[in-house]
Amino acid sequence: MLSLNARLLLAASVVLLGFFGLTGYALDRAFRDSALVAVRDRLQAQVYMLLGAADFTDSGRLVLPNGLPEARFSTPGSGLYAGVVDDAGDTVWRSLSMLGMDPVRLPVIAPPGQAVFSDLPGYEAGPLLLLNFTVLWERPGEQRRRYTFWVAEDRQVFSQQVDGFRRSLGGWLLAAALVLLTAQTLILRWSLRPLRRVAQQVREIESGARAGLDGPYPAELRPLTDNLNTLIHHSRGLLERYRNALGDLAHSLKTPLAVLQGAVDDCQDRSFRQLLDEQVGRMHQTVDYQLQRAAASGRTALTAPVPVAPVVDKVLNSLAKVYADKQLQQFAEVTPDLSARVDEGDLLEILGNLTDNACKWASSRVTVRASSLDGRLVLEVLDDGPGIPAARRRALMARGQRADSQMEGQGIGLAVVRELVEEIYQGSLQILDGPGARVRAELHA
Amino acid sequence: MRVLVIEDEDNLREQVVARLREVGYAVDATGSGTEGKYLGTEFPVDVAVVDLGLPDLGGIQVIRGLREAGRRFPILILTARGRWQDKVEGLEAGADDYLVKPFHMEELLARLRALVRRAGGWSDSRLRCEPVVLDTGAQTLTVSDAPVELTAYEYKLLEYLMLHAGEVVSKAELTEHLYEEDMDRDSNVLEVLVGRLRRKLDPERVLNPIDTLRGRGYRFRLPRTG
Repeated sequence: MLSLNARLLLAASVVLLGFFGLTGYALDRAFRDSALVAVRDRLQAQVYMLLGAADFTDSGRLVLPNGLPEARFSTPGSGLYAGVVDDAGDTVWRSLSMLGMDPVRLPVIAPPGQAVFSDLPGYEAGPLLLLNFTVLWERPGEQRRRYTFWVAEDRQVFSQQVDGFRRSLGGWLLAAALVLLTAQTLILRWSLRPLRRVAQQVREIESGARAGLDGPYPAELRPLTDNLNTLIHHSRGLLERYRNALGDLAHSLKTPLAVLQGAVDDCQDRSFRQLLDEQVGRMHQTVDYQLQRAAASGRTALTAPVPVAPVVDKVLNSLAKVYADKQLQQFAEVTPDLSARVDEGDLLEILGNLTDNACKWASSRVTVRASSLDGRLVLEVLDDGPGIPAARRRALMARGQRADSQMEGQGIGLAVVRELVEEIYQGSLQILDGPGARVRAELHA
Repeated sequence: MRVLVIEDEDNLREQVVARLREVGYAVDATGSGTEGKYLGTEFPVDVAVVDLGLPDLGGIQVIRGLREAGRRFPILILTARGRWQDKVEGLEAGADDYLVKPFHMEELLARLRALVRRAGGWSDSRLRCEPVVLDTGAQTLTVSDAPVELTAYEYKLLEYLMLHAGEVVSKAELTEHLYEEDMDRDSNVLEVLVGRLRRKLDPERVLNPIDTLRGRGYRFRLPRTG
């Protein structure tokens, strides 16, 4: 799809082109017409001059003096020619400038008193513009005789004039078009600047550098920016409300379960207690699993990148308290300034569960690594515990499996992590060989 | 040991309180966060159990309030959600451990014992002041590897003294931490109890494990070896 800028520029250019084309054509026509009229007037004046200069010899022959006021008539090949033809079509006189040239054949002989202006493109010495004028000449004691005076000018003079005009007209029109297009471009840039600012601010919101759109916007854009702001707030608030609602649901489901569990522990009948214990455990796991799945938010367009190192630190600090007795050495190997476009809650969930498992099994040290690889976030949690036999790895990641049911814990940790990593972040979760257990998660974030 | 329980669900709170009293804790309990914060600030609490989902003042705020008031006793949070965000938030606010609902009562007891022990500077569940060894997990006492039977009150008294081994513990502090408000605070009872404990720990009168400091209180004087 064409950008607004391109659309406006294209439309403006087409309109300008059309406008200047028409203008150019009209001006050209007008100039040509007036130039032709000027040539005709000039030729007419020459004809009158010749009429005035014409005289008769005693034998009754029409003659014109050699020294005509217009010098070009006397210069051979000057481009201005003249002649007189009698009623028989014989040339009575022709100007010196026609020396050595073929006689001009007049296309039309008009009735006396009328001037005929015509274009003679076919003349062998070059196209001519020609005006002829017929007069009836009456001399005392003689018959009336008809003479046709003609004056022709080389068409090149006219053509050069027209070409010169066209060149200068074209130059000016081009310059005007360029100026207008430049002005148009500048106006467009200026007018579209608020839109570019919206785009820039939306990018900043995406990258987390900005909370909402701000700054004065033109009235036409304000409905859009206001709605975008509302949408952003709404979607953030929605996630928060959704999670709170889930939290309330968890609380109101699990507290009664806790009461039930307490009652079960007090129960005297051993087989009954075992039955209830199992069922309460199952209900607990189901509630936990479904709620944690539902609470996973994943990545949205408005998720800001989360710095990874502080999250790793939070998890390690928290677990250092919980596993204080084990006096574990903790190592965080996080690429400096690493941040990822994940939900912080999701990242805490993944790292928390993996690191919790590692702390549970470690004998002295736990390492959390985080880096980025081809745009993916790579998390690795290692411990120096007994490790996980290959045969059990697949089973372990299935829903609700525990590596060791003697070990306390919810048993759904890895399953939740796998769901988060594989389904919400389209990544992969692997249990690798290591000195102890080594779990690697790759997320598209 | 004096435990503060803040849990708004009455049934669950009563269960927990009943079980804690059964195993010999002095218990203060409430369903309100505000009251819980008051109790934690004003009473000589050894360890607290705080539910995160309280109706009035949230568990996180209670914990923060207690820490800001300078109270250092360990806190165990109960959370229904089990999200790491909640756990981390609670632990960062100043809690020391968490338990996700529903839980087994024995699990809760084990966690509380561990927290109290850790707060006393002990990293193992067996408190060793050779030759006296008190196993807080199994709740058994051995002296020179020979088992010694204790009553519930004797056990509570010895546990408190050994957790604070080397420190002087006043009679008032002992009664506060071992008995609830309505219990008999007659100091004679305590003296009789200490006397009985001395005889059981040291029938030959060679170890002399518990000092009496006139007007100040008692001190478990065998050095820590574990």
